[in-house]
Amino acid sequence: MSTAVYAPSRHESRIRALLPGLLLAVLAVLPSAGLTPNLIRLFFVTFVWVTTSLGWNLLGGFAGQVSFGFAVFYGLGAYTAALMIDRSVNPYLSFVAAGLIPAVASVFIGLPTFRLRGPYFAIATIGVSEATRVIMNNLAITGGASGYRIMEHRPFHQVEHYYTALGLAALAVAVSLLIVHSKFGMALKAIKQDEDAAADLGVNPYAHKLAIHAVAAAFTGIAGGVFARYAAFINPQGVFAFQTSVYILLMPVIGGIGMVWGAVLGGMVFGMVEEQLVANFPQIHLLLYGVLLILIILAEPDGLAGLLGKLFRRFRTPGRKNGGAHSGSREIDKVLRRAAGR
Amino acid sequence: MAPILEVEKLTKYFGGLPAVKDVSFAVPEQRIYGFIGPNGAGKTTLFSLIAGALEPSAGRIRCRGKDVTGRRPFSLVKSGIARTHQVVRPFRAMTVLENVQLGAHFGRKNITRTAAARAHARQILALVGLERQADTLAANISLGDHKRLELARALATDPELLLCDEICGGLTRTETHSMLDLLERIRRQGTTIMYVEHDVKAIMAVCDHVMVLNYGQKLAEGKPDEIQNDPAVIEAYLGKAGSQKKGRTVA
Repeated sequence: MSTAVYAPSRHESRIRALLPGLLLAVLAVLPSAGLTPNLIRLFFVTFVWVTTSLGWNLLGGFAGQVSFGFAVFYGLGAYTAALMIDRSVNPYLSFVAAGLIPAVASVFIGLPTFRLRGPYFAIATIGVSEATRVIMNNLAITGGASGYRIMEHRPFHQVEHYYTALGLAALAVAVSLLIVHSKFGMALKAIKQDEDAAADLGVNPYAHKLAIHAVAAAFTGIAGGVFARYAAFINPQGVFAFQTSVYILLMPVIGGIGMVWGAVLGGMVFGMVEEQLVANFPQIHLLLYGVLLILIILAEPDGLAGLLGKLFRRFRTPGRKNGGAHSGSREIDKVLRRAAGR
Repeated sequence: MAPILEVEKLTKYFGGLPAVKDVSFAVPEQRIYGFIGPNGAGKTTLFSLIAGALEPSAGRIRCRGKDVTGRRPFSLVKSGIARTHQVVRPFRAMTVLENVQLGAHFGRKNITRTAAARAHARQILALVGLERQADTLAANISLGDHKRLELARALATDPELLLCDEICGGLTRTETHSMLDLLERIRRQGTTIMYVEHDVKAIMAVCDHVMVLNYGQKLAEGKPDEIQNDPAVIEAYLGKAGSQKKGRTVA
């Protein structure tokens, strides 16, 4: 979003700058406000999902590379943390490893697959993801398909898990925002639109894609590790499932692809309703996601964030400098942005 | 003066068909070197080979004596070779300024700071006459402005050698004139230009040196007036000269 096009008023931008801090503060005091353990767990899971959503958005939203293979990173992170914590390594040290190993894996996956473009890249990531799941189903040291039980030799504090996940999600937001406003982020935006044209201006698309893939994999992996420590049991059918890849992709699409707060919103909504959907509609919950996906793509490709932005603009006090006269061209800009794949 | 670019027996086959065959030439510094030829003569292919978008089947390309054959476009940009496209390819979801800023960030100067890259981009926009459109989305500007933007983006990478592919294609007479003036100004600032254009008049007006390509091969080369009177060139453009056509010149 270019501030040059919709220059918001000073008052507005101050509110916008304050909101994230406010949100973080509310979430930070929430456990002390008498939240039930069940709700704390729900928030914990939501923060984990928000992190993966932001991770996917780095590659899929910023650089336009649609991957169906993020379960690989989530699972690798989960298993890395599980194996280390089980051997009494400090959990936070284990999380660092849970980020590093998927990042390294992402480079090996990216080297061949980033030679492919568009749908071919997406298809290749499905193949990699399924292959990894099959391998993990048969790997002896992780217990294969029967899964892995984590014995942590430390007392369990639910709130500690809550803050770990919240801190991770906040870090993912911060890194995403830093990237958006950097030279690196600008190159990704260009690659998303036309990677040959980007290369003509000196951007190395291949190297940039590999780099952002690694950052995305690291966040997704740490999220997997944080989840594994809490769950204390993981199995390949869970963390490496194709369904996990689809969930991770679905969140930023629901929230607003390419937008940091869209990815956050998508993760929040998904995290909060996912269990309810599975519990209430066990047979058709995947169908519901499918319908939701189609509706979003048809009606509002910018997702919930796009929808909220539209409503916000519509109900803003009329007569404001940026309000009336320019709203027409702003709508045109919006349509054109969408046509351009933004 | 040592040439900035030397091309030696450059050849590109598409399947069995030679699009460019055994083309050799040297581009002296700070000149405008023009390329003309009928449709399909291999002009754009030649540019794609030099800019790294295509890999040659045979031959060498040297920039300032250094072999750059087969290097990718992004790495050639860092060595000072930039290119504009016949069909413009702007980043439509970015503003005009952001389009140019990207070139400043990743070009030869490799500017890291956003403010510095923006300042550099604004200078370039002023040079090409797009400063008023700086904050407009690239999707919303006219064809003439698109051609200027294409040029501005390439210029932002701070090239020593600029490859312009039909930068005047589709422009009105007036727009063409101001574009040619712009090329002249860019050359005077020290940039060497290789220029492909269908409009022979435009080429003859600004180029110091012209090469004529036909069926992928060099047909003739020389100063604009020499080319205009070359019988082989006249034949390629107008067909075999009959007795009544004798003495006609191209353009």
